[in-house]
Amino acid sequence: MRVVIAEDAALMRAGLIRLLEDRGHQVPAAVADGDALLAAVAEHRPDVAVVDIRMPPTHTDEGLRAALELRRRHPGTGVLVFSQYIETRYTARLLEGGAAGVGYLLKDRVADVAEFADALARVAAGGTALDPEVVGQLLGAGRHARGLAGLTPREREVLALMAEGRSNAGIAAALVISGGAVEKHVASIFGKLGLPPSEGDNRRVLAVLRYLAS
Amino acid sequence: MAATGPVTSMTALARAALRAPFTRRARDELLFCLAGVLVGLAVLGVVVALLVPGTARSVVRAVAIVAVLLPLALATGMGRRLGAAHRRLAERLLGERVPPPALPRQGALGRLGAGLRDGPSWRALAYTLLKAPIAVAEGYAVFLWAAGLANLTYPFWWGLFRNHPPGVRLSPVLAGTPFPGRVLHISTYPGTFLAFAAGVVMVLAAPWVTRAVVAADRRLLRGLLGPGRLAERVRDLEQTRALAVDDSATLLRQVERDLHDGAQIRLATLAMHLGMAKEKLGDDGDPLDVAGARELVDAAHQNAKDALAELRDLARGIHPPVLDNGLADALATLAAGSAIPVELATDIPVRPTPAIETIAYFCAAELLANAAKHSSASRIGLRATGRGDLLLLSVTDDGGGGADPGGSGLSGLAQRVSTVDGRLEVASPPGGPTRVVVELPLRA
Repeated sequence: MRVVIAEDAALMRAGLIRLLEDRGHQVPAAVADGDALLAAVAEHRPDVAVVDIRMPPTHTDEGLRAALELRRRHPGTGVLVFSQYIETRYTARLLEGGAAGVGYLLKDRVADVAEFADALARVAAGGTALDPEVVGQLLGAGRHARGLAGLTPREREVLALMAEGRSNAGIAAALVISGGAVEKHVASIFGKLGLPPSEGDNRRVLAVLRYLAS
Repeated sequence: MAATGPVTSMTALARAALRAPFTRRARDELLFCLAGVLVGLAVLGVVVALLVPGTARSVVRAVAIVAVLLPLALATGMGRRLGAAHRRLAERLLGERVPPPALPRQGALGRLGAGLRDGPSWRALAYTLLKAPIAVAEGYAVFLWAAGLANLTYPFWWGLFRNHPPGVRLSPVLAGTPFPGRVLHISTYPGTFLAFAAGVVMVLAAPWVTRAVVAADRRLLRGLLGPGRLAERVRDLEQTRALAVDDSATLLRQVERDLHDGAQIRLATLAMHLGMAKEKLGDDGDPLDVAGARELVDAAHQNAKDALAELRDLARGIHPPVLDNGLADALATLAAGSAIPVELATDIPVRPTPAIETIAYFCAAELLANAAKHSSASRIGLRATGRGDLLLLSVTDDGGGGADPGGSGLSGLAQRVSTVDGRLEVASPPGGPTRVVVELPLRA
């Protein structure tokens, strides 16, 4: 997997490069601002870009804007936005153009190296990786409290993991249950929420996110 | 030359005195006095109409009328309109520009309540009532002009009307004097010159009397129809409050930035390094890559130490713990840490409030840092003295001078100091030395 990194904190940048190279990935470029990111992606055509939201010059949301621009210019390249805070507004902007090849994770998640690498691989392959915080905010928005109230606690867990973008196998591993059990839960959730059955992880995430964000 | 000095100034004075009655200013002030007399008469008329005749019943009636009229006048904003009219008149005739008072606030009791509690309205009414006694003085000024000018004409018409044959006794003609109760009785032609002389004195004196009366009126105008001292203080406080709010918002933003770019990054990297080390060690059994794991744990260890140092610096930057022991101790710590030798002198008999100590401490810290960075000084003097209700903090250095009081550092300090009604003065001529004095109240 080829990864371009945009992160202005040198320490974190070096750590990410090491983490990725340790796992056999290539990092052809690691830059510190949005413009350099766009240039590096155009030059190296990576599978995925890891983008910090707050970067110079204004230290507000230039990373997010660069990420949106990246999605517009290079729809095939996955974008994993990476930040110390989760902002609902940023989530909405990021998901506006669909959830394929998009990730939004807290920086803290690098602590669980394998999970982080897994999320990055999912985004690179055109999937979705949303931080549990993002999903928590969507679930906590209260717009669908009645619909969600009909779910069992286990089904709510499965729904949250689905919204994070995990596959059935990923959900099964996270909850330590069998793949068959996951399938049963998923079917039940879709039935209770009145969602059309969707094939494939990606379409399923979209259906769930659309439900939560509608 | 020196000998002619007083002489020329005397002639200049005489010339000014002679010219005074003919100036535009004299005319405008006379017109203002005339208007004042009319206003005064009107006010007097209203008061008299309400209170006279003074039978018991009519007094009751008048009081009742006032009790109804006054709130009505205040509620309809008449007080303010009166004030505005007075201000317009003064501006048109005197060029006296009195800033209008701040707009009224809508009270909980609606318009009536707001009107009754509206200070500017009451003050405008007071001014209008005071106009009656002032009008007496203004009337006197008008009288000086009118009677003086009239007196000047006596010698010219005397011959036309008093060409009677000798021996005929006519009643004397009256002429004014500067003293309104006194009159001159003129019965001969030479006597008219006495009237003329009195007229000259009166016309020459009139502009100065007018000016004095108008000056008194101007003071009342400014005092009663302007924004008022309290309102000005409020405006002042609003400004410094805005500065204080900005200042604390800026500080909080800075703290967030420091955390975000510093300790948070270090801790995230620490977690990442430990996560990677964990992978190198494997889930169980023998470690997969001991050397790699050790290296990553080393890196994580360093991250942890750096994060601790950064958090300590940040915490100290928010509130230095040594400040709890008093400003003198805190300044001593600060002085000991300075790159340039600091001569410290403290004499603070009464302990300032914590907010003042904090501001003084951060001023001293910033000023020392400035001196170390820009002045190329070899010695710095730091002095903190309590004097009366004030805390005086001075930082002097023998460096190159040229510190810019408008620069972001010093003006930021001045802003922070002004939030507690303090002052900051900078004297830094090119070539030095630089002396910055911060004056703070002991309690904020």
